[in-house]
Amino acid sequence: MTKLWMLPDGMEEALPQQAWRAEGLRRALLDHYRAAGYELILPPFLEHLDSLLTGAGADLDSLTFKLTDPASGRLLGLRSDMTPQAARIAARHFADTPVVRLCYLGTVLRTRPDALGGPRSPRQVGCELFGMPAGGGAAGADLEVLSLMLDTLRLAGVADVHLDLGHVGVYRAVVDRLALSAEDETTLFDILQRKSRPELSAFATALGIDAEAAVALQALTGLHGDVSVLQSAAATLSGYGDSVVLALRTLEQVIAAIARQHPGLPIHLDLAELRGARYHTGLTFAAFAPGHGRELARGGRYDGVGGEFGMARPATGFSADVNELLRLGAA
Amino acid sequence: MNSANVVTIALSKGRILEESLPLLSALGLEPAGDIDRLLRVPSKAADVQFLIIRPTDVPTYVEYGAADMGIVGKDILMEHGGAALYEPLDLNIARCRLSVAAPKGYVPTPGKRLRVATKYPEITKRHYAARGEQVEIIKLYGSMELAPLVGLSDVIVDLVATGKTLLANGLVEIEQIGPVTSRLVVNKASMKMKHARIRELLVQFEATVRG
Repeated sequence: MTKLWMLPDGMEEALPQQAWRAEGLRRALLDHYRAAGYELILPPFLEHLDSLLTGAGADLDSLTFKLTDPASGRLLGLRSDMTPQAARIAARHFADTPVVRLCYLGTVLRTRPDALGGPRSPRQVGCELFGMPAGGGAAGADLEVLSLMLDTLRLAGVADVHLDLGHVGVYRAVVDRLALSAEDETTLFDILQRKSRPELSAFATALGIDAEAAVALQALTGLHGDVSVLQSAAATLSGYGDSVVLALRTLEQVIAAIARQHPGLPIHLDLAELRGARYHTGLTFAAFAPGHGRELARGGRYDGVGGEFGMARPATGFSADVNELLRLGAA
Repeated sequence: MNSANVVTIALSKGRILEESLPLLSALGLEPAGDIDRLLRVPSKAADVQFLIIRPTDVPTYVEYGAADMGIVGKDILMEHGGAALYEPLDLNIARCRLSVAAPKGYVPTPGKRLRVATKYPEITKRHYAARGEQVEIIKLYGSMELAPLVGLSDVIVDLVATGKTLLANGLVEIEQIGPVTSRLVVNKASMKMKHARIRELLVQFEATVRG
């Protein structure tokens, strides 16, 4: 029986003690982002559905709560991710500014949780950096955003953070050469997300993928571990041209810089990690902590964002759920 | 939650557990305790412990990170769906198949929606959707073979190992959906945070499976 006081599945609320903690963390985070040169935006809760679901939002359709606007008859969506909103604002309102740094913090709503038993109303916090391509002096922009993610976890008091790094360029180089149909690529994407090697061999056989490419695909599922993965990748994927070399070099630079700034931080590499996002184009990263079976914060490069709003440019960013940070952190 | 220095492996109670034991002993990981009664059992290796749970619960334990790894049938993984777990290895044990079975001599009535009894509603829905067929699914928790006999459904979708239970109840396999074996699954966060030990176990499992 449903009682009147019950909340819908996955909806979160904070009672006084918890709410003050959340507010304390919100202030600390926004102060920190501001000091780092990030401008705060407060995007609307409700937008036209089509603008929420373009570009970086293309995977969000089934996650988005929808309703019809009685005034215009158009379909509206409740935001399920603030990244596409930040991309829209950067394209529309900062078209003349070559480099834009934005931060945001607010509740988003999802029709289903990201993970089993997870919230449907995470309080998303994040930073996005538009207009700076990869590379640019010791992997500048990627490193800046990655450092902000680590700062966020530190400010939240999350101990024993583990960093996971990947680069979509490696996957793209291997997959582009296969020239798959959209449907087959979706299947391959799903198989790689699960690192299902048995299914990968069946897939390669069914599609008649040549032996060399099949070996590269299988190798991809094994290219994870410590820094030595970079050497094995360079050897295994040497026939895949400059984009792989470039991706591995970016990773090397980022690892060297992170090791300098955060000595002792455990770094794990995974060159087949796709994080469920199809829009990533370069370096991707996530943070994990013991006692939590899934990632705590995630981010990466998604160049070309904003084109639908009239201004395509390089972008990189990260986001996390403040409520989850509070659960795992001491702040 | 499970500790940072121990790798917890969730095992599927029943036939899969029986067929997992020789594999585990080959790796020096025999359970060091009464696996029939205990739910959490240490292994002969100090840094590996087991959870003995229902097969359908294995993906849940591993996805939450309450277990780092698990041994579970592909049928359960297909029904569970999603991409929340790594499933790097086919252990090639507890081999059977997912099949459609019907009473002997069954002829489908054209134009009538097929009624399918199963404990795998997701797999069944996907199977018939791929053929362009809308069916009525009746979710049951056991003894599927009974449903067509008493007119509850036209056919069943179930695991078939030897086919003896089907035969005894006057059913025949009319279609095979796919083979099923047990898989080794790994929690994504554990793969990253306990990488060295888990990678070592994966290599050992793979070597043992390959013989």
